[in-house]
Amino acid sequence: MMDELELLKRDWQKKDKQLPQLSFDEIYKMIWKKSSSVVKWIFFISIMEFLVPHLIYLVPSMSKNLAVWKDLGLGNILVISNVVQYSVVLFFIFQFYKRYREISTLDNAKKLMSNILKTRKTVKYYVIFCLSLIFISFIVMAVGIYLNEDPMTALGYGYKAENINPDKLKTTLVATVVVLGVVVTLVMGCIYFLLYGILLKKLNKNYKELKEMDI
Amino acid sequence: MTKDLEHQFVTELECNQNIVHKVCTLYTNDRDSHNDLFQEITIQLWKAYPKFRGESKFSTWMYRVALNTAITLYRKSKKSIPTQDYESVMFKITADEYDPTEEQQLKLMYNAVKQLGDVDKALVFLYLEDKDYREIAETLGISEVNARVKMNRIKNKLKTILNP
Repeated sequence: MMDELELLKRDWQKKDKQLPQLSFDEIYKMIWKKSSSVVKWIFFISIMEFLVPHLIYLVPSMSKNLAVWKDLGLGNILVISNVVQYSVVLFFIFQFYKRYREISTLDNAKKLMSNILKTRKTVKYYVIFCLSLIFISFIVMAVGIYLNEDPMTALGYGYKAENINPDKLKTTLVATVVVLGVVVTLVMGCIYFLLYGILLKKLNKNYKELKEMDI
Repeated sequence: MTKDLEHQFVTELECNQNIVHKVCTLYTNDRDSHNDLFQEITIQLWKAYPKFRGESKFSTWMYRVALNTAITLYRKSKKSIPTQDYESVMFKITADEYDPTEEQQLKLMYNAVKQLGDVDKALVFLYLEDKDYREIAETLGISEVNARVKMNRIKNKLKTILNP
């Protein structure tokens, strides 16, 4: 094997003449092209993750939901949870920016990978936080419906359900909200895991390989 | 000022472009991916260039950024089969005197190296470029002893690929 590798080495070092040669202008044009590196994608997707949940609130039907919360007597809880949410979001944005700055191609391969994965972890915690928040808000809404005298009116439906047993109606509503909460949380979680699973598959594999070497 | 920097960078890269081409040869299978990776490495080099203070040689610095890009940052856009045309250019054996056994052996070796994982390829690349274990270890972020151990394992892996 040694001989074969030495043979390869000798051949490899003679290869220079066969390699393509780019001109000054060709290289010059390249430095202004856009990068497609993994880090860039992680950065974009993370920014989206920060923005999308907030944009949803701007959709008209969602603003109407705010009124529902008030009618259910949960207005105060909403204000408090918003304050908490935004301070946590700000904290995460700061953390994420700090991590992103740490990524440098001048580090050795292992450190570079570890920094990218650390950035990833920061976003992961943020997403877990958001998912829990979504789920908890559904639960709080369910509790609100349960405690409310007239949930149908509070939910914005003008008509009275006369032929239906109010207790039964209430149970159905609560169950629906809880199920919806679980489904929404799961779907969001799946999208998130798929996105990063694909993006970081190669990186994770290579990092594990390097890490195992040093144990 | 920026113009000067651009000019300086492109001139240096033009002189040392073989290093990048060699990394691309090892990590890609067709001409499109080769050019794609070359471009990505060029962008990463340019982005890091203001931080390059000339503490090390331009070429040494290039090895690091080029390999980092190939192993960590670059995502293959598609799985591609090597095209005949590309193969004949990139893997033409350069044996001085024509020796069919040697040529066959080299061809098999190149194919075997191509089948290794990303990190293993980086080690083999630095080895073929005649770098010592200290430099290999430093570039990858493992200890020198581990670089040696790993290189031995790679040799065994190559043996298995060649003699299944």
